Amino acid sequence: MDKAIELTRLTWRAGKVFSLDEIGLNVPTGSIYGFLGPNGSGKTTTVRLLTGMIKPDSGSIRVLGMEVPGELPSILRRVGYVPERPHVYPAFTAREQLDYHASFFERWDGGWAGKLMTRLGLDPSRRLSRMSKGEIGKLLILLALAQRPDLLLLDEPTDGLDPVVRRDVMSAVLDCVSETGATVFISSHLVHELERICDWVGVMDNGRLLAELPMQQFKNGIKRIRVHGAPELADEAPFTLLSRDRTNGPASMETWIVRGWEEPMRDYFDRVGATLRDVIDLDLEESFVELLRSSRPTHAHEG
Amino acid sequence: MFHDLDPRSPTPLYEQIAARVRVAIASGELTPGETLPSMRQLAQRLRVNPATVVQAYRDLANDGFVETRHGQGTFVKEVPGRVREEERRAHALSLVNRLLQDAARLGIGTDELVRAMETATGAEIRG
Repeated sequence: MDKAIELTRLTWRAGKVFSLDEIGLNVPTGSIYGFLGPNGSGKTTTVRLLTGMIKPDSGSIRVLGMEVPGELPSILRRVGYVPERPHVYPAFTAREQLDYHASFFERWDGGWAGKLMTRLGLDPSRRLSRMSKGEIGKLLILLALAQRPDLLLLDEPTDGLDPVVRRDVMSAVLDCVSETGATVFISSHLVHELERICDWVGVMDNGRLLAELPMQQFKNGIKRIRVHGAPELADEAPFTLLSRDRTNGPASMETWIVRGWEEPMRDYFDRVGATLRDVIDLDLEESFVELLRSSRPTHAHEG
Repeated sequence: MFHDLDPRSPTPLYEQIAARVRVAIASGELTPGETLPSMRQLAQRLRVNPATVVQAYRDLANDGFVETRHGQGTFVKEVPGRVREEERRAHALSLVNRLLQDAARLGIGTDELVRAMETATGAEIRG
């Protein structure tokens, strides 16, 4: 099995307000996959479809090589899932929540759970109702990790947590990956957080998957370039022109945002009688923002 | 050694990590026989994908800078002086290239840079 998650032409509609349109998504086994998108773009809906909590209108879902919903029980045994809005029992102590959770998972690693509890600075005897948001966040990650899952599904795992807790949580996840080789699927709108850990990215906007690429290719493929004497039409360009801007800087100089950039494409500018002045690298967040901006309906593109 | 890793850079993190180790070996900061942190420790410390560290260590081993002994860890190898010197030269050149690129962006010419270098170091670069 080379794909931990495989979605084919997945469609889901909620009235006229929102829909997921023919999502095709492939998460390689063993990868750390960043599922990016602004709030309301369909990330959580996708995760809920994956876990069988809602049913698609059409399309197919395979997780760990098995069909959803047909083989859900076998799938869920091997998936550590941290939902965006978790359901916990406030009257439980941390220890009780742990024991309760453990009873559902045959691969539960109690020894490791205990170690993580200490490492993350959690008090086993504290009631969940008395815990801070950060402590609940750490506890939920602990529950998912101690299951020893083959796939970790983390839906906005660090949203609303302070930077110290965010670091603790991510380093516990990375430690788990080092040891078990689990696949990690993280959805987040905190783009910079994913920049150093993900090797794949999928970008969602408005119920569509805009891009799915290895991280390095995504980051290096989108550039800001400065062109002197730019042609009126860029139809023949070997890259995709996402946007162009004349207002910035001296006359006859334009700033372009291009996608699918590779070094040999410099030749193109000679051919059209323009001069390429500068190629500027964008980081993940800038690439993400430019991609979204160019895909929004206001940009001549179909909506 | 790894304090200035830049996840925003277009240079992949595994290349950055490998380069830091090569420079540390070339400059004598790391000596032959010394142990590198385990891949798991380093991934956690740098908060990077464990696969990134695995790739960096693999490249370092292929280039003859370290060797990984199964179950024992990764060790710095004895690197010939010639290779170390070459590594330092390559690193110096990449520092200069970065400077040149930034300068070009600001419209600062090579002559101005050389003069600035002379002012900063107090040494005469061009006779």
